[in-house]
Amino acid sequence: MSTVGASLTDDELLEALRRAVGAREAVPPDFVAAARDAFAWHNIDAELARLTYDSRDAEEALATRTEAASIRALTFTSGQLTIELEVAQDSLVGQIVPAQPAEICVLPRTGSEIVVTADEIGCFLVEPIPSGQFRLRCRTSAGVETMTGWITL
Amino acid sequence: MRDDPSVIALVMRVCDGDQEAWDEIVERYSPLVWSICARYQLSRPDTDDVGQGVWLMLVENIRNLRQPAALPGWLATTTRNECLRILRTARRYDPDGLPADDLMPPDLDERAIEEDLLEAELNVALRAAFADLGGACHRLLSLLIQDPPPSYADVSVALDMPVGSIGPTRARCLAQLRRSPHMVAFLPERAGAIEVKETGR
Repeated sequence: MSTVGASLTDDELLEALRRAVGAREAVPPDFVAAARDAFAWHNIDAELARLTYDSRDAEEALATRTEAASIRALTFTSGQLTIELEVAQDSLVGQIVPAQPAEICVLPRTGSEIVVTADEIGCFLVEPIPSGQFRLRCRTSAGVETMTGWITL
Repeated sequence: MRDDPSVIALVMRVCDGDQEAWDEIVERYSPLVWSICARYQLSRPDTDDVGQGVWLMLVENIRNLRQPAALPGWLATTTRNECLRILRTARRYDPDGLPADDLMPPDLDERAIEEDLLEAELNVALRAAFADLGGACHRLLSLLIQDPPPSYADVSVALDMPVGSIGPTRARCLAQLRRSPHMVAFLPERAGAIEVKETGR
C-alpha cells in the first residue's frame, strides 16, 4: 500500500493535484467517448477478432511506392477463426478460415445492419463498401461467434 | 489501492449492465490507458486502436475478472500488451525483419508500467477528493493548480479574498484534501498519532 499522500508536503500535494487534474485534461474527449460507447457491446456474446495484418501498414513499413494503388487487405484473428478481407473497387471480398459457411453481419456505427452469407468455402461479398466505421460479426454454422474491432476503410 | 471497495462495486454494477458505472470506470481510468500509449509514443490513430481494443476486451471479460479490485492493474497490463501488439504488427513486414528506428518501442519494463499504474491510482483518488471539496476550497485550489500558477495578488482579485488569508486557506484546503476518504489508501496508519508525537517534542 502506498503512503505517498501523507509524506507529501503541501507544495508537493498541490503539484500532485496539478498532475492528476492535468492527466485527465490531457485525454481528448473523443477518446473518452469511444470508450463509453464500447459498453454498447456488453451483451454480445462473441469473441473479439483483432486486426493482425493491414496491407497499408505493411506498405508503410516497406516504404513501397506503387504507381497503381494496390488492393487493401486486412486480416482479423480470434482464437477460433480468421477473417480475411480485401477491398475491391466497390465491394468487400472476404473469406473465413477455416473455410465453412457462416452468417456475416455488417454492423455500422450509424445506420442499419446488413447480413450476408459466407458459402461452403467461407467466401462472402459485402456490396457496397460500408461508408463509415463498422464491425463484422461472424456466426458459423457450428455456432462460433466472432466479432472484429471497428474497421475504417 | 488494490482493495479499493469502490472499484469492486463499480465492476459489479457493470456486470449488471449499468452504463453509468461503466462511464465512471472510463472516467477514472481512461487517463491510465492514454498515458501508457503516450509512453510507447503511439500515433493518435494507433492510440485510438489500442483504446478501442482495451475497452472492448474489458466489456467482454469484465465478468471473468478474478479479482474485480485488480481492474486498474488489468487495464494497465492489457493496454501495454495492445501497444506491443500494434508495434509488432507494424514491424512484422519490415524487409530485413528489423524494426525501423522510429518503430522501435521505447525500452519499457514492467516497472515503468507499475509506476504509471500507481500514479494513475493516486490521480484517481486525488481527483475524487478534489471533486468532493467544498466550493471555496475547490475554487482556490483550481486557481492555484493552473499553469503557470497565478500570483497571490491575482488570486486575491479573482476570489475577492485578502492576500493575507490565501496562505492559511490554502493550508486548510490541502489538509481537507488529505483527510478525504478517497485518500485513505495513500495515508499511513496512525499518521495523526505520529504527527502529534513529533510536535509534542
